[in-house]
Amino acid sequence: MALNFKDKKVILSDVVGVEDAEALLEWLQKRPYARAVFSQCTYVHPSTIQVLLAAGVAVSAWPEDAELSCWLQSILPSCT
Amino acid sequence: MNPLLEQFLLEAREALEGIGEKLMSLEDAPEDQELMTQLFRLVHTLKGNSGLFEFPEMTRVLHASEDLMDAVRNGEVSYSQTLADRLLDAMDFVGLLCDDIEAERATAPSMAVDAAELARSLRKLVSSVVATEELSADPFPQTDISTATVDPTWLTRVPEAILQSALDATQNGTPLVWVHYTPSEECFFQGEDPLHQARQTPGFVWGGMAARAAWPVLAEMDAYRCMLNFDVLAAANIEDIRVHFRYVPEQVQIFAVSLPTPVLLGPPDLHDETLQNLLDVQREVLSLPDDVEWLAGRIKGAVASLSGCLRASGRAKDIEMLHTVAQEALQVASAAPLAAWMESAFPARSNNSVAPAEPAAAPVLAPKFEVASDSTEVITESDVKFGRRAEDANIPKILKVEQVKIDRLMNLIGEMVVAKNAIPYLANRAEMVFGVRELSREIKSQYAVINRISEEMQDAIMQVRMMPISFVFQRFPRLVRDTSRRFGKEVNLVLEGQETAADKNIIESLGDPLVHIVRNSLDHGLEMPNVRLAQGKSALGTLKIIAKQESDRVLIEISDDGKGIDPEIIKQKAYQKGLIDEQTLERISDQEAVNLVFAPGFSTAEVVSDLSGRGVGMDVVRTAIERVNGSIALESIKGKGTVIRLSLPLSMAVTTVMTIESDGQMFGIPMDMVVETVRVPRVSVRTIKQSMATVLRGRITPLKTLNSILGLAAPPLANDNDELATLVVRVGDDTVGILVDDFHETADIILKPLGGVLSGLRAYSGSALMGDGSVLMVLNAKEML
Repeated sequence: MALNFKDKKVILSDVVGVEDAEALLEWLQKRPYARAVFSQCTYVHPSTIQVLLAAGVAVSAWPEDAELSCWLQSILPSCT
Repeated sequence: MNPLLEQFLLEAREALEGIGEKLMSLEDAPEDQELMTQLFRLVHTLKGNSGLFEFPEMTRVLHASEDLMDAVRNGEVSYSQTLADRLLDAMDFVGLLCDDIEAERATAPSMAVDAAELARSLRKLVSSVVATEELSADPFPQTDISTATVDPTWLTRVPEAILQSALDATQNGTPLVWVHYTPSEECFFQGEDPLHQARQTPGFVWGGMAARAAWPVLAEMDAYRCMLNFDVLAAANIEDIRVHFRYVPEQVQIFAVSLPTPVLLGPPDLHDETLQNLLDVQREVLSLPDDVEWLAGRIKGAVASLSGCLRASGRAKDIEMLHTVAQEALQVASAAPLAAWMESAFPARSNNSVAPAEPAAAPVLAPKFEVASDSTEVITESDVKFGRRAEDANIPKILKVEQVKIDRLMNLIGEMVVAKNAIPYLANRAEMVFGVRELSREIKSQYAVINRISEEMQDAIMQVRMMPISFVFQRFPRLVRDTSRRFGKEVNLVLEGQETAADKNIIESLGDPLVHIVRNSLDHGLEMPNVRLAQGKSALGTLKIIAKQESDRVLIEISDDGKGIDPEIIKQKAYQKGLIDEQTLERISDQEAVNLVFAPGFSTAEVVSDLSGRGVGMDVVRTAIERVNGSIALESIKGKGTVIRLSLPLSMAVTTVMTIESDGQMFGIPMDMVVETVRVPRVSVRTIKQSMATVLRGRITPLKTLNSILGLAAPPLANDNDELATLVVRVGDDTVGILVDDFHETADIILKPLGGVLSGLRAYSGSALMGDGSVLMVLNAKEML
């Protein structure tokens, strides 16, 4: 499973595909102050990124992949 | 390379040749409408075909050619020499692309640009007459090179360290470009992934995203509407970037990022002095003893300083070399390699010309980047020429050979096999008659060699005639789609084993029967979706066509999960038609009843609406299959579906026959007719009226003597135990025992049909030459009984 929801955290792992955006959107609507954990993530489809952006989700851990991390940091806020 | 692509290349070459020819003819008769239409059709077909594959360059050029031809055909543009020239150029270009595809080379990036230029030059011919808006549909619009001042804040988004490395990358001459990618909002639905696309940008250095507009509240959010823009900083040629984004040229803006303008830091001497001081310090550092644990740090420090010096002295291209040496130094844990390299790169102070007096932008991170427009793109009016004309086109690697020639080869190898079989006889004679054992052995070993070669040769010739069954299968997806659409049925077609190969004649003879069977299944087998749902089946019916090879036969199974055949209806119909009598009607099993659909005369106008689609009965299917020595079997369970199994020989060339002896003569009978060979004691043969019969495995089997069938007077011979040799053969659905004198071995033969007056002898299907030179007559059991 690419998305794991824990309390107020969404943990994104491996490849988060286009079909995961719906589930995330649904979940985020119920939890307005969630945070995203990308540490185990290798790829995120832009639709998911859009959902995170629209929900104003802050990131508590960036991906290990420097390049992906750079892409995400260019648009997503860090939670510190 | 997949077969579809192979086919495409073959057709493309043919089409290109045709286009060339037509253009030439048009030069003589520019007004010929017929020629013009043919030419348009060729271009149109080629374009359509190219669209099946991912050859954007080819499709682009062909598309433009097609538009041009269309305009010519409609009389909007008149045929001219220039037009022919450009079209020929375009076709040469397509030919080049075909070469690349065939050689499985990646298309050169420059091709994309060439394609765009060709397309543009072709469209120019159209647009000079027709409205000019055609140009705006150009794949690479000129607007992609924005002349507007680019927001310098864009570059500030890039972290400084990355900018630094980007600059290093540009030292070898690759320009730095900024790509602004605005994917369409629907791109996710088209299966595109803009982030992936942007990440894969050649020479990728840095990438960032930005939202196009403020985000809506979550409840109204549409996650699948792309609202992101992508920016990429890349060290790559603009052409490469274009190739990368060739599918979405209108969504990409490319800007060249200019290097910082050199800034004079002061008098060159002073600069030189500074440099030398720096170098001196590094020399000193590197000459320190190596036995400290911070050696690695020291080396890295020196490398950083030295690369700065190199950059400042305009020798940035040496930086790479420096890094290689540094790696080496780190590996051997000694500063010596670095020191040595430094001596060669920066000879001692006495040589003052070391650091050229060239001014340098020392801290390269001078924040004075300028993003300027790229003005390299100039369309040339002149024709784009490619270094290839039609006459130096490659000779195609595939030969088209008339089938007659292959058949001749086939016949020759058949004779060779027969001639070869005479050699063992010769060896035996050498030993038995002349008593030369040594010679006999040599002949036999020579025979083994000839045997191997001729077998391989036979196999090779057979391979030439082999065709994959996909040749027949390929029409089914379309057929099923169209037919099911017309009936309003939902059908899932499953094709398996398309690569199974068989002789060309076999494959060709399969076409019509298969189409008929598939149509039957679609028409009568599979039910309407609502009926299926009512019966607890899924609305989507499944039609499976599976081909596989089993020893020397091809098996094809066509199965559907439709309503099956109701044996009761078949029985009634057959009874009404007079195909079966009342007794049979009572006795016949369901399975047998279902097989009555193959009976000749079963499918008539009356049943057409019920069972068969077009008045071509299943008996025609069976006849077609049997003509190529195949067999057909049908199984059906009411309400569950129908399975039809076809079994066909791989090749018609070689027939396996069983040789039998009767009245001192040898005969052959095809092995696939033979059920078994038994010896029946004379006492168990009963005579019923004039016919003989016996009970074999609990069934009454009629017996006939071969001699009487062939009009030979001699009675059948029995063996010492007074048993009669009985060959049980299957003829249609019946089994018949044929009494012969003796059984012999089986043999692979090349069956030659009888010619001339002999062809009227229906009892024989042909003759074959045996290894000892004798002629074997092959019996045709079906006609004979």
